[in-house]
Amino acid sequence: MTETRFHAPERLEDAISLLSADEDARPLAGGQTLVAMLNADLLSPSQIISLHRIKALQGIERRADGSLRIGAMTTHAVLARSGDLRGAHRLLGEAAGRIGHEAIRNRGTIGGAVAHADPSADYPPVLVALEAVIEAVGPKGKRVIPAAEFFQGFLTTALNLGEIVSAIILPPSPAEACTHYEKFARVEGDFATLSVAVALWGGGVRIALGSVGPVPVRSAEAEAKLFAGQLSDGAIKEASAKLVAASDPIDDVRGSADYRRLLIPRLVKQAIRTAQAKDAR
Amino acid sequence: MSERVAVDLKVNGTTHRVSVPAMRTLMAVLRDDLGLTGTKNACDQGVCGSCTVLIDGAPARACLALAVALPGIAITTVEGLAQGDTLSPVQQAFLDAGAIQCGFCMPGMIIQATALLAENKRPSEDDIRHSISGNLCRCSGYTKVIEAISLAASRLTP
Ligand SMILES: Cc1cc2nc3c(=O)[nH]c(=O)nc-3n(C[C@H](O)[C@H](O)[C@H](O)COP(=O)(O)OP(=O)(O)OC[C@H]3O[C@@H](n4cnc5c(N)ncnc54)[C@H](O)[C@@H]3O)c2cc1C
Repeated sequence: MTETRFHAPERLEDAISLLSADEDARPLAGGQTLVAMLNADLLSPSQIISLHRIKALQGIERRADGSLRIGAMTTHAVLARSGDLRGAHRLLGEAAGRIGHEAIRNRGTIGGAVAHADPSADYPPVLVALEAVIEAVGPKGKRVIPAAEFFQGFLTTALNLGEIVSAIILPPSPAEACTHYEKFARVEGDFATLSVAVALWGGGVRIALGSVGPVPVRSAEAEAKLFAGQLSDGAIKEASAKLVAASDPIDDVRGSADYRRLLIPRLVKQAIRTAQAKDAR
Repeated sequence: MSERVAVDLKVNGTTHRVSVPAMRTLMAVLRDDLGLTGTKNACDQGVCGSCTVLIDGAPARACLALAVALPGIAITTVEGLAQGDTLSPVQQAFLDAGAIQCGFCMPGMIIQATALLAENKRPSEDDIRHSISGNLCRCSGYTKVIEAISLAASRLTP
């Protein structure tokens, strides 16, 4: 029987060398998924590498170009009430506030959620809609991966052995952007049956869906229809049809694939109209 | 199995040096190593809320935290709320409102409500419902729980 060892390095390089030397080692962030999996005997890692003491993974920083760098260890609770999120970036805070319950949000982190890549999770559609990039650090150094390429499938990401998510970078956003994250779940705190992330501003419409495919669903055709039709009811209907066609939902305990497809037009319209109403405020 | 690690856990103001396997959850350490069985074990998946404790003042699931990752960090369990024989205002309100049925979910509810009232002195009924949405009561006695939390709020901030 092997023994699970625990490390809490202070330096990012030390965490990476521990992880790249042993494929059965696992990083620990908020533990809100990892420890639940340990409790369910779904995992028995050889080593747990806690990321809590690594300063380089913490904090939110606005960069000179207006982009926002969010450290991987930033919790959902911090993002949900962060005053650093402005313009379209507010979409991320709206989604963070809808994750699980307060006790989960206090511990769970954006880096852990992104690395876990649950198709029903709340951040992935937001990051795809905002064209965020995922910053990863590994034995070969640092690289950035567009969110649309980072999420590759059910619990599958572009991360390589020994690589960890170090930050999420949101590109600059126009201050006038209005946003809405619409989540439909069976009960409060559950994962989404369907979620819709919308950001609107003068020059564009961004929309992505969560929980209706192995990765977030975004459609250039749908966005073009919405833009050309100036968000009219007719344009929303046509765009929804494109999004339904681009989706690939499954039947599960949260709803059948057919049910999810029926929800798409309704939730898309609701999300767009709610975002617009916030703009009018 | 996992190696044992010595860790100083600061629970209810007292530091305990325990030697625990790396994978042991805070819940298991509280209950089995420290004998603090007020923190209840039910789902072990973070869903039910019965093991809710305060970690650094904020509600968290004890079943989803590894004890070894919490050295020196203030942890408050339901046993830490009363002052000697005097119950905390939230505990007293739960008794007075008759909010207790089988009692199993109560420690988690009381911890969650304590955290709510520390941040929000005059919660609306909606705020209260929202706050305890992650604490399941299988007796389904939520109405009295909501009354109890309102009562505690009105006593704390008349
Ligand atoms: C009751 C409950 C309800 C929930 N509801 C929702 C919900 O509604 N919506 C939602 O989106 N999520 C939900 N979650 C999941 C929650 O958001 C988790 O916090 C998140 O998925 C994992 O983040 P973590 O920081 O806790 O990561 P951990 O559990 O520590 O780690 C998760 C995985 O990612 C790896 N990992 C962690 N950090 C990194 C990193 N920086 N780089 C690379 N790999 C890393 C770990 O090794 C592990 O495999 C819920 C969880 C619970 C328990």
